[in-house]
Amino acid sequence: MKTIKNTKSDFKFTKIKRPKSDIKLAMALLFPSIFLVLLLVAYPMLSNIQISFFDQPVNPRLSATFVGLKNYTDILMDAEFFKSLGVTLLYMILAVSGSTALGLGVAIFFNRPFKFRKIARSLIILSYVTPSISLVFAWKYMFNNGYGVVNYLGGDVLHLFDKAPLWFDNPVSSFVLVVLFAIWRYFPYAFISFLAILQTIDSSLYEAAEIDGASAWDKFKIVTVPAIMPVLLTVVTLRSIWLFYMFTDVYLLTNKVNILGIYLYETAFAFNDLGKAASISVILFMILSIVIILARKRVKF
Amino acid sequence: MAMASSKKSRATKKVAFYTGLICLLTVSLFPFFIMLMTSFKSPKEAVATNPTLLPQHWTFKHYVDMFNPDIFPYLSYFKNSLTVALTAASLAVVIGIFGAYALSKLKFMGRTTINASFYTVYMFSGILLVVPLFKIISGLGLYDTKTAIIITMIVQTLPTAIFMLKSYFDTIPDDLEEAAMIDGLNRVQIIFYIVIPLSISGIISVFVYSFMVAWNDYLFASIFLSDSANFTLPIGLNALFSTPDYVWGRMMAASLVTALPVVIMYAVSEHFIKGNMTEGGVKG
Repeated sequence: MKTIKNTKSDFKFTKIKRPKSDIKLAMALLFPSIFLVLLLVAYPMLSNIQISFFDQPVNPRLSATFVGLKNYTDILMDAEFFKSLGVTLLYMILAVSGSTALGLGVAIFFNRPFKFRKIARSLIILSYVTPSISLVFAWKYMFNNGYGVVNYLGGDVLHLFDKAPLWFDNPVSSFVLVVLFAIWRYFPYAFISFLAILQTIDSSLYEAAEIDGASAWDKFKIVTVPAIMPVLLTVVTLRSIWLFYMFTDVYLLTNKVNILGIYLYETAFAFNDLGKAASISVILFMILSIVIILARKRVKF
Repeated sequence: MAMASSKKSRATKKVAFYTGLICLLTVSLFPFFIMLMTSFKSPKEAVATNPTLLPQHWTFKHYVDMFNPDIFPYLSYFKNSLTVALTAASLAVVIGIFGAYALSKLKFMGRTTINASFYTVYMFSGILLVVPLFKIISGLGLYDTKTAIIITMIVQTLPTAIFMLKSYFDTIPDDLEEAAMIDGLNRVQIIFYIVIPLSISGIISVFVYSFMVAWNDYLFASIFLSDSANFTLPIGLNALFSTPDYVWGRMMAASLVTALPVVIMYAVSEHFIKGNMTEGGVKG
């Protein structure tokens, strides 16, 4: 008893010697981070709201004219905006569900000991690690109308189609390719996340279920799904947000799929309408905020 | 009899498994295979209407041409990308270490708020900020400079860097720091002598993550850069692709060499870090 009491008071003693609040040091250490985030994230976000009420020329020397809510009414009257929103949502839903399901499937497939497992895992991740720009050239080449290997294999060898689709020159096939590209590029992210959590599941749970006569599907439903649920929610939420704001992959692959990121970018830098682009940002920001507020209630990031 | 059949079914299972694995890897790696093979094909062979998987006449010309500045400005783009990515990643790591240490180990008012706001920033995509950032960068006189890209990339990767580092720092026991304090080390010395050496694998994975984000960036480079002397690889290669006289083999060689630094860095960091990739994630 006595010794325990002693150590406790010793512990208290060292605690008291430390300052109660480290606010000065904390602020000094956090200053660069806070400064940069305020200057280049928080301020720009507020600035978006301000710019959205102006007709803002790209040339900074020309002055902006106040136009009130005109930019917002313009967008809400623009059929192209709603079309773009629809395309983006469809793209997001298909690519998120595709990449998550494939990632989970491959993770379950990998969740057993086998030879070359480590190297196979690294090879699977390759499409996720490689820069978009490199992958985009490969896809454009493979799906070239004239000499692409896909048309050659699908048409001349396997006779899947008589007349090859125009792939990146046609809005529908472009959309399909853009979705496939996203699934192929992003499923490794889901795969590594799921594989990590699957490896923590105690195999005795599966054995117990087996003794109870559970089928493979039952085991998946009863043991696997509850265990992976937190990871599943995180993967789906984060990937949805990132794909909703996708720009680079789609922009580099084709000019036939007008997702919101491209709609915003072109409004700003092709049509030089910064005010309208800022109001698109504000609208998208509001959508994002609602999603984050809803998501944070259930998902731990 | 029963044993023989179970042995047989185990063998069948094994064959089925490895067949599945090979199919999976074939589909997943096919574009890489095409890239590699095309980079060894002559320009004429690359656009043949009945393509062959392997080059009929292997040529290494594209890899030589690629590094010839008279033909292809690849080296200049590569150098710019390397400068941007190395500087941005180093600074993100240093700033991140300080920030993460404060959020992990120091007690002060507003810690939770700051933590939560960084979480929110994490989910912001760059595309929402392009208009005001363009104005701010122009206003600061940084338009068409590498500095513009570097600071943007630091901010884009900083929230993730802080979270990854904070989760590493959180695992360092407080007792260790208290012992060090009793030995007379101050907080700053503790960061350098205790926290950094204990989290070296986390620091490396943050560096790799930030490097990858900066190396891959197309969006901000396309907005902030106009002089091709400043171009980084993504914007430079895409600009070359739009000109009529690109050569497929050379583009493929360039694509592969562009991917090489990040793939090597990833493989090296993967070698001694467990499960790092899931923490960062690739943003669009």
